[in-house]
Amino acid sequence: MSLVDALSAGRPLLLDGGLGSAVIARGLPRGTPPEAWVLERPEEIQAVHRGYVEAGSDAVQTCTFGASPVRLAAFGLDHHCEELNRRAVDLARAAGPRFVVGDVGPTGEYLPPVGTGDEARWRETFARQTRALMAAGVDAFHVETMSDLREAKVALAAIHREAPGMPVMVSLTFDHKRRGYFTVMGDPLIPALRALAEAGAVAVGANCTLTSPQMAGLVEEALAGVEAPLVVQPNAGAPEALPDGSFTYAQTPEDFARDLAVFAAAGVALVGGCCGTDRRFIAALRRRLDEGTASP
Amino acid sequence: MPQPDVNSMQQAVIDGDVNSARRLAEALVASGGDLLPAVEAGFIAGIRRVGELWDEGEYFLPELVQGAEAMKAAMAVVQPALQAAGQAQASRGRVVIGTVEGDLHDIGKSLVGVLLSANGFEVHDLGAGVPVASFLAKAEEVDADIVAASALLTTTMEVQAALVKALGSSPRHQRRRALLGGAPTTRRWAEGLGAAHAENAVQAVAVARGLVG
Repeated sequence: MSLVDALSAGRPLLLDGGLGSAVIARGLPRGTPPEAWVLERPEEIQAVHRGYVEAGSDAVQTCTFGASPVRLAAFGLDHHCEELNRRAVDLARAAGPRFVVGDVGPTGEYLPPVGTGDEARWRETFARQTRALMAAGVDAFHVETMSDLREAKVALAAIHREAPGMPVMVSLTFDHKRRGYFTVMGDPLIPALRALAEAGAVAVGANCTLTSPQMAGLVEEALAGVEAPLVVQPNAGAPEALPDGSFTYAQTPEDFARDLAVFAAAGVALVGGCCGTDRRFIAALRRRLDEGTASP
Repeated sequence: MPQPDVNSMQQAVIDGDVNSARRLAEALVASGGDLLPAVEAGFIAGIRRVGELWDEGEYFLPELVQGAEAMKAAMAVVQPALQAAGQAQASRGRVVIGTVEGDLHDIGKSLVGVLLSANGFEVHDLGAGVPVASFLAKAEEVDADIVAASALLTTTMEVQAALVKALGSSPRHQRRRALLGGAPTTRRWAEGLGAAHAENAVQAVAVARGLVG
């Protein structure tokens, strides 16, 4: 069954939780991108994936958020782009999920006047990452944590061109402003999600920045205003310092699971977690989804 | 030659009109009048308004950056004239600022730097991807009052924590105050580390004033 078939089967699909925060918890040295561990400490990445599969994730997302050549270049890893993306897919696949989703994050660049980003360069960088992920055999793509609708559309188009027919989900990251939900570039929620759906994304939604209580209003608006399936991956509350300088997140797995189960019951097609969520959050959400208990 | 009016200066920054801001700054300098009051009531008031519009959810990153660009263009003209006239603002304090190692997000941090400069701080911007050791070295070199660090990824917040720790544990750095910011950071988190925190670039100015006041 393809991811698209699974989406149309009517049951919510459970994605995974945070990957970056999970590998930090496993000792990723500061200043090192999680992708570096795909090559250096693959057993750690695989352990995170396996934890999510055991917790009940239907789909795991590859450790390739920052594995576009533009992003990798900042760490001198761009010449490893193909190998890194391929190995990241292998690690996800080996954990045994129903679906392996190729994760594609932002370049970190902004278009003028904010920065010196360039759409032609973005097309090339996303195309190269897509080819590498496709060659390794992903089941779908997820373009996520995008704060500029234009960059999200460039990535979506590049994936469509390089991987025709592959399902692509796209999530933007929104702030809650007084006038509603907007990306930091000023893209308003409903027009942005509609534009992505019209551009052919099989699911559209939001991840990162906001916590599940903060996403409740977003989910309500998006369910009412967007026809495409929704994908939602909030953070696990706000980070808080621990005495040793590391940090933890405020939300409990049960609180998170309760909110996300409500979202799923309301019609969100794909649910999962972003920064700070770990296998406990996903396991708690799995229980809720299986019990069909969306009430508090 | 008459001074251009402060409302036009304000508006040029609010509109992010770099050329207009530069021309107004040139006219201001050419007028030969008292520069500092006009700069404060004009360009600086303009960038403060830009910050308010951001806070209010009316402005987004492009407008914010464009406003800062207009501000920078005006200050590039005015600053040398201020100095020549002996009217340079007394420095409120010295700030070393950067985005931490592993993190390439430059914009929020740069805006904080621009706003701090506009508000009279001497700012040393180290750019993005700055290791803890570089923060410390620069802080010592310029005898910084504030070391400001930004992180836009939850995966790089630990570098901020390490920086605060390094500042606190060295007698050479103990008097310096750490100021942290960036999307995933929170006041509670920063204060737990013993650092100050700013939600955004406008708040950073107020917090920095408090730290050196």
